[in-house]
Amino acid sequence: MRSLLTAAVICVLPVFYPVQAQQLQSVNDVTGARSWSRTHAGVYFSLTQILPEQGDAFYVNRGFSLEQIRPFTTSCVYMTVLRNDSAPGIVHFVRGNWSISVDGEPREFKTVDQWVKKLTAAEAGKPALIAFRWAQFPPEQEYEPGGDWNQGMLSVGLPAGQVFDITARWDLRGQSFEATLTGVECAK
Amino acid sequence: MTHKLTPIRTPSVAPDLIFHNMDEEKVDLKDYRGKVVVVNFWATWCPPCRREMGSMERLYQATRDSNVEILAVNIGEDLDTVFSFLGTVEPSPTFPLLFDTDAVSMKQWKVKGLPTTYIVDSEGRLAYRAIGGREFDHPAIRKAITALGQ
Repeated sequence: MRSLLTAAVICVLPVFYPVQAQQLQSVNDVTGARSWSRTHAGVYFSLTQILPEQGDAFYVNRGFSLEQIRPFTTSCVYMTVLRNDSAPGIVHFVRGNWSISVDGEPREFKTVDQWVKKLTAAEAGKPALIAFRWAQFPPEQEYEPGGDWNQGMLSVGLPAGQVFDITARWDLRGQSFEATLTGVECAK
Repeated sequence: MTHKLTPIRTPSVAPDLIFHNMDEEKVDLKDYRGKVVVVNFWATWCPPCRREMGSMERLYQATRDSNVEILAVNIGEDLDTVFSFLGTVEPSPTFPLLFDTDAVSMKQWKVKGLPTTYIVDSEGRLAYRAIGGREFDHPAIRKAITALGQ
């Protein structure tokens, strides 16, 4: 009976998470690419600039022409990581629920499907389009605790040098969570 | 890189997986029934896929006598591209590499990002999943995989 009561109390106790850990920033000594990261409620979130020339080289090697891929590589692209290090359950996100803002004003950013349509219209080849699609950060995903993660590209569609905030959102056991990276800068 | 596999709570039969290998021979997952099979979805341009490939070969060398097989399914690339990549991996993979040039397996296997790996038990059921890169020769992963084969 006592153990049943204990279990009942544990079940109704609210789950407390630490306040958002400090945002970290770094600069790659070789490329000059800048990174921003934060861990919240056991989930690690980071953005690292992909410089336009880096993106060009990557996609030209996958079969795109420079003319086809430049609209993407100059659209403020980041290598994005989300990882469930120690959240107490499955982390589920839909990238369409993430948001960006410039000086507090919300901005829209293209979905993976919208980019694929644009590149298909530009007559990119099939292998190139497959590489593009699967090199993007997933539009939706579930991460089990203990290290499920993805690394992929994310275009925010802002001009070079633009400073913005980005908020990643996910749900876990019916609760919503978010982590915001502030003062993120598009590569110049 | 992490080293945890997630048990699949309600194991179901693995989807079909039939592709050509580097020798252009047809390989069917069903032919491996009776073995534990590590099915890895990857591409040469995917940084965590590249990083985990060496550890997968070490796992293969350590477990090939324990009824374990590895099938690494390349997504969307051709033989020349993969062949060039193999020379850059240490140790270079000796397990079968399969070619899904149209990325059709991604939907069937519910893969939403690369790399993704499933462990199929000896009865052809999905037993574990790993989203994102792993150190496949880590003792915890090796133990989980070999235990399935016993």
